[in-house]
Parts: sequence; C-alpha cells; structure tokens
Amino acid sequence: MKTTQVSFTVNSKRYTMSVGKLFGQIPPNELLIDSLRDRLGLTGTKIACKDGACGCCTVIIDGDAVPSCEVLTVDCEGKSITTIEGLAAPDGTLDPVQQAFIDYYAFQCGFCTPGIIMTTRAYLDKNPHPTREEVQDALAGNFCRCISHYHVLDAIESLT
Amino acid sequence: MPQILKSGLTSKHDYRYIGKPTERKDALEIVQGKAMFLDDFKLADMLYGKVKQSPYPHANIRSIDASKALALEGVRAVLTYEDVNQEWRFGWPPQKPVLSNKVAYVGDAVALIAADSDEIAKRAIDLIEVDYEVLEAVFDPVETTKEGAPQIYPDQFPNNIVPGGYEVMQPKGPFYELKIGDAEAAFKDLPFVAEDKVGFDKKPGTQSPETPGVIVRWDGGDNYHIWATSQGLFVLQIVNGTVIPAHIEAQAFNVGGSYGNKTAMTCITNYGILLARATNKAVKIMESKVEHYVMHETRLGSTVQAKIGMDKDGVIRAVKGRWFIDNGCFCNATQGQLAVGLGEMQLIMAKCTNWDMETRLVLTNKLPAGTVRGYGGQELNSCLSLLMVRAMREGNFDPIDSFSKNFVSAGDSYIWRNGLRYQARSVDYKNVIKKSAEQWRWYERWTGWGKPTWISKDGKLVRGIGCSVIGNADAGESFCEAYVRLIPDFFKKDCFVRVHVNVTEIGNGQKSNLQKMVAEILDVPLENVEYIEPDSRTSPRNEGLAGSRGTLTCGRAVSNAALEVRRQLFEAAEHKLQSPIDAMECYRGGVRPKSQPDFWIPFKDLVPDRHLSVTGYGRHDQDFGTPNFFMSYIEVEVDKETGMAKVIDMLGATDCGQIIDPGSCELQCQGGIGAASLDTALFEENLVDPITGKPLTYDMIQNKWRTFNELPKFDCCIEESEFDTNHFKAIGFGEIAGAAAASATLMAISNAIGVEIKQYPATPDVILAALDKL
Repeated sequence: MKTTQVSFTVNSKRYTMSVGKLFGQIPPNELLIDSLRDRLGLTGTKIACKDGACGCCTVIIDGDAVPSCEVLTVDCEGKSITTIEGLAAPDGTLDPVQQAFIDYYAFQCGFCTPGIIMTTRAYLDKNPHPTREEVQDALAGNFCRCISHYHVLDAIESLT
Repeated sequence: MPQILKSGLTSKHDYRYIGKPTERKDALEIVQGKAMFLDDFKLADMLYGKVKQSPYPHANIRSIDASKALALEGVRAVLTYEDVNQEWRFGWPPQKPVLSNKVAYVGDAVALIAADSDEIAKRAIDLIEVDYEVLEAVFDPVETTKEGAPQIYPDQFPNNIVPGGYEVMQPKGPFYELKIGDAEAAFKDLPFVAEDKVGFDKKPGTQSPETPGVIVRWDGGDNYHIWATSQGLFVLQIVNGTVIPAHIEAQAFNVGGSYGNKTAMTCITNYGILLARATNKAVKIMESKVEHYVMHETRLGSTVQAKIGMDKDGVIRAVKGRWFIDNGCFCNATQGQLAVGLGEMQLIMAKCTNWDMETRLVLTNKLPAGTVRGYGGQELNSCLSLLMVRAMREGNFDPIDSFSKNFVSAGDSYIWRNGLRYQARSVDYKNVIKKSAEQWRWYERWTGWGKPTWISKDGKLVRGIGCSVIGNADAGESFCEAYVRLIPDFFKKDCFVRVHVNVTEIGNGQKSNLQKMVAEILDVPLENVEYIEPDSRTSPRNEGLAGSRGTLTCGRAVSNAALEVRRQLFEAAEHKLQSPIDAMECYRGGVRPKSQPDFWIPFKDLVPDRHLSVTGYGRHDQDFGTPNFFMSYIEVEVDKETGMAKVIDMLGATDCGQIIDPGSCELQCQGGIGAASLDTALFEENLVDPITGKPLTYDMIQNKWRTFNELPKFDCCIEESEFDTNHFKAIGFGEIAGAAAASATLMAISNAIGVEIKQYPATPDVILAALDKL
C-alpha cells in the first residue's frame, strides 16, 4: 500500500501524520474533528451534528472559521489550524473574545461556546468593527439551544 | 472582574455575593474548552455500542441472522431479543421488553452491537439480516383507543390505554384524574363557556447540542457503574433500576444542554447495561445527532377535549375535559407528568372549585415520550390556556386582569403530583403581573380582542400582542441533602470550603450559585469555595435538577449545611470571644462579636486541632407549598400573504423571591425562547410520515432551531418579594421560563390576524388555512 503523509500546524505546533489504513494511520475518510479530539486530545472542539449545521466544532483554518466535521484531515496539508485550546496567549492571557465571554456571562451549558468563540475570533479578525446585526449574521451558523445569544452579542459588542 | 450585564440587572437586597454580579465559577474552563463533557472522557479498553434500528413502525421479527456481523473483526457482541430476558421491560407499569421480537416504532432497537471502535460497530449494523412481518401501525392518540385499532401490547393494554397512576409517583395512591364539585352543573350558571379540542401534539424534542450518551461498566453481580450525560443521576438510578435488576452507581460531567430531556435516558442506559454485561467491558454509547432525533425520548403529545366556564368577573369556575397523552410506544415518566399537568392546571385556574378532568395514557407507534421541560404542565396548559383565552375574549375581559385573578396565591389549595392537597403560602404574583404589564406598556398597546396593534400601509403585515402565565409547585419537589466542609489550609492561614451536593451543571449556573450561597453565609472569598463533582457513591442524596427545584431545594440544603458549619464555629469561639453565640457573626474568614468587630478569630483557630475539618449537614424536605411563576408577553408580526409569523418583541416576567445571580437569572428568562418553549408555537415539531411512520425531522437540517439573526427584542421584569422558601427566600423558575410563551404567541397571532389559531405550531400553512388562503 502506498503510504503518504499529511503535515499541518495546530495551535502553533507542527504535526506530520501517516496516511493509510493500518493501525495508527489517518484513513483518507477521517474528519479533522476526529483527528483533533481522538489523536491530539484537543477535546475543547465539540461534536454535535457532524453535518456542518451546528457550528459546535468550529476551528480557524488559515484565518477562516470552518466546521471541522466538514473537513478531511488529509486535506489539511500545509494548513494552520487554531482550536479553542490555542486561542489564549502562551503565557495564559486569554484572547479578548474569551475574556469578554467571561465578563458578559455569555454562555450557559458551554457546549456550543468554543465554536461560537472561534467563529467570533475569525470574524473580528476580518471585520474588527461590525454592527450588532453583522455579528448576528456572522454567527448564524452557530446554534445555541440554551439561548446565550443576547449575552454573546453584548460581549462581542464590547469589543467593537 | 464581576460580570457585566447590559441590562444592569442586580438585586435590591444588600448581600456580599447573593444578587451581585460575580464571575461564574466555571467560566474560565468553559471559554478555554477545558470544561469536561462525557464524550471527552475515556476508559481504557472501552468498547463502543451501536443499535440496529427498525425501519418499520410496527412489525414482528420473523428471524435475525447476526452471523456476518459477529464475523467482522472487532465486533465483540451482538445481542438480539433471543439473548434478553423478556421480563426486563421499559415502562411504568412494565410494557416493552428491552429487546423484543416485535418492534413498535421506526428506530426501535432490533439488535445491539459492541465493537472495538465506533466505526466497526456502525459497519456491523448493516451486516445483521432481519426478516420482518410488517404490521399495521397507529399514530393518532385518539384513533389508537378506538375499536379495531392495531394493538401494540394486545395481551396487556387493550385499546392501547395504560392505566394511570404509579406508586413511584404516588406512593399513597394513584392520581390521574381530578374530580371535584360538579362541573356540569356549574356551567349552567356561567356566562362564558369555551369548548373545543386542542392539540399540543407534535412532540417536539428539546434537542440539546450535546447528544445523549452513557458509558456503562459492569462491576459483577447486578452492579453497574455508569457515566452519563444525565442532569439527574438519582433519577437515572431509580428509573433504570426498574427495567433490568441493577444496582447503579452513576457519575456525570458537565451536561451540554438537557432541558429536562437527558435524565433517565432509559433506552441507551439499558442497552449499555446489556452490552457491558455481555462483554464484561465498559461500553460507550454516544448517540449521533440523527440517533438523537430518531431514538431518544420525546415530549409527550397532548390532545385535550375540554370545556371551560368563566364567571362574570373573568374567573374560571368550572373545567371538564379529557386529556389524551400520547406516550409513543411506552410510558414511564408520563405517569408523573400527567399528575403534574393536572396540578399546574389548578395553579393557573386556582379559584376553580368544579373539576372533571380525566386522562388517557395512550400508546402509539412512535418514539417513546420521556421527561422534557414542562413535564406535563406545559403540554396541558398550552391547550387549556387557549380555551381560557377564548372565554376571556367572549367576556371581553382584559387578559392581564383575568390571568391575575385566576393565578394561585397564598391560601389557595390544589392537589399535586403525589395526590395530596397542598395550600399555597407566602407567594403572591399579582405585583409582578402589574409591574410587568406596565413595563411592557401593555395597556398602551392593547387594542382589544381580535384586533391588530399595527397594520402596514399595504395591509400585508399585521402585528398583535398576547400574554400568558404558568406556574409549577415542583420548585420544592422531593428531598435534597448537602454537606459543607470547612477545611483548614495546611500551609496557609485561612480555610477553604467544599460543597457536596448532587447537582450536575446543565447550563443554569446552579453549581456556581450554590457556592455563592455558602460563601455568603460563611463570609469567605468565593474563590475559596469548591464544588465536588456529582458521584452517587459520595454525593449526598438529591433528586437532581428538574422542575426549577435547584434554587429552592438545593439552595436550602446547602444553606442549612453552611449554617450548621457556622453554628459549630460560633460554639468553638464562644469561650474565646466571651460572647453569646447569637451575638456573633462570620466576617472575612473568621468569627467576631457583632458589637466588638476588632475581636476577630480566624476560622483556622476554631477548627479541631487546627487541622481537622468542620462539616455541616443540611437538608430540604419535599414541599409543594410555594409554586413559582412566569409570565410571557409576546408581540408578533404576521405576513398575511406568506403566513409567516415572527416574534418581534418579548418580555419575560417572574418574581424569584431573591436574585441569586443576575446573569444566570437573566439567562434563564431568555432560555425560554428555545428548547421547545416559545418556538413550539412557531416551528418546532417532530414530524412523522403518516403512512410509513418514518421521522421526517431527523437531523439539524430538517429540524430547525432559532439562529443568532432571528432574535426578537427581549426584556425581563424580575421582582424580589422574598418568599418563605429557603435561607435566601428565593425560588427558581428556569423550567417554566418559556412554558407560557407558546400560548401567548398563539393569542398574539390570533389578535393580529383577527382569526383564532388553535394549533401548535402556527406554521405558515396553519395561518394561511385560518385566513382561508389555502
């Protein structure tokens, strides 16, 4: 069997993985969400729908917010991936989005929160001063069932 | 840094932590992705479980051949009905074998698989060959009771009716109907009578983001250890212990939303038990989102044929009816839900003395109903409120005034879930009804029954307003124990505090809020208080969070435990301070006489031997005497051409006695929008194909949720009347925050379009049909 490799960076750390069907290898159909959680132990990225509909598994890939259940790991060659675990500074200082979510109590059960934070971070990097309505549209792919929405929008508004 | 609330909500009472905006204790974990959920947890050598599901709603299994699945490398077990004791049955009373040679809904378990990986278990599903004899199915809760309907358990429950009343819920005798006075005679003297058949019957699931899951380990004999996505470990233990003989110990992590729907998780828990025992390994069953939709317990279906009579003052005096409860293919928790429904019915019509309300627990070939927020009350009252409103309209009563007159207040009595009569004390919600109506400018907006409040120039868009109320005496339900331990820090001068109470964090911040109560009573820094994660082996007994009970019941138990620690500290200080106990106070990690603040002794000097802990025990005993309250005000805008209705303005009102934490209080109010509450009025429904019985809303593409760009304007009105409930005089309301919003929305739509809507959800086709445009 032909063996290939895939290399990418997750939270500033470079990984090279062997692709194939043998034990320990990345099969071609493996989703990024599963590689992150099961191989790298980065369980802050959550699985809910695995259909690209809920936004719980959102990570930032080369600056874009992407549902990691819609990405094959083998397609991540050369990509720079940031998960919720990599958002804070190396010294532990929280990203301003994370801090604003704490300050504004912008979560309830917290299951969807990592995905919402990642979408927010990627969006603010591209549009640092959005209106509240623009933020609402940007977050339309992130579901929250507890209804943290109002506090989330207040938190993000404080950053803009 | 304290939490920042744009609304500025804060308590009017002067505490250090209680009612003040403090950072949630687990906030840092949550925003960093470090909060642990079940799917983040693994056991060594764990297997993965999957279920082969029936494609038919009603069928006999002629044969099953699992040989190909068992031959697949990595498959460790395949279980069918032939491997399972047929006396191990789901339901109260026992109904459906855990695995049977007869399937009763699309998605029903045909076989269980345990494999080395989730992927292998999935592949094995299609290798199991099943020959079915397809049977006629029944989906309608009224048709199922008629002669000639297909019989789901022909030898056990004729006409698909399960007897009401079960001793777990009513140990002193069954309670499944309410017959008091003479309703039929009373109607003759009542000027305004509304009668109709109303349905809240689409069984919408609350659908938490995190799917249900369990990890089950067999510990020998009948002993099992279960890690579960359960909001109530005690309920998980006792409900499942009635299915397969099992002594269950259980642990939970953070729960990623539940809304009452992830508690016993009867099916997957028992599937996990069977697989763990068969393989002698820990087995994890984590539902996919599609399985969550087609395999997990739903809300009960509610169809009510009822008649309501109102007097000349707008007060309900007589109610007669029959409530058909669609359980799907078996019922357990609905035995309690029907009784709570009958109870909540009495709270919103508390002056009524003539009742003749019967219930029918019926079986259909649909997913089994389980616990869901609302717990019977939302389902029944969403129907009865429509008739109540119709009577108000016939009498041209102001709805605010009529809801206020009819809602329970101190002195009114009612029969609650256990069949016993209780008298309300302490609570009176007339004040918050009046204040919220003023805040929302109800009287300025109200244009009368059946009249829009606004019409667009082209006449295409119309707006209308509505309101409704709900209450639940389960806020004081069941028992709760707690321990609080004051432990001296070995290396430092101060002490830290550990709180032991069996409460799973489900999003309402209850763990954090209970720690605030302890910090307040002992006057220690909030960061010095720790919460010990729930584990049935070490946590004191508690029924778990349900029915808004956490604030009152766990709050009372935890507060009493902290007060007991304080009492022991005062006793230890009595001699040293030469002060009577009742003249002392806790102050900043120590004790001092109130009259001599400089005579301060740190806690560490008061604990035994400066190294041992001081432990307090606190308890709450069941008390159904203080019902809670929530009122929803809704403004809708309806497009009369498309039939699309949207909520554009909303206010949630409650009197919580005392705000414990402003942020979580406000979030609980807002939480009533989702999870089968407000949106049950507009679009949330669990659709089943009427011919094939197959679920049509089986994933997040088909089953819509409200998104960030679809939010109505939302305000809160929160009063603090300090009720006789617990140390802080507080009462919870989270469960019911949206329960009245559904009927308020239908009232608003009816007023906007001038035609009564009486069907949930009011989707465009329902509205267009009402407007004679379909």
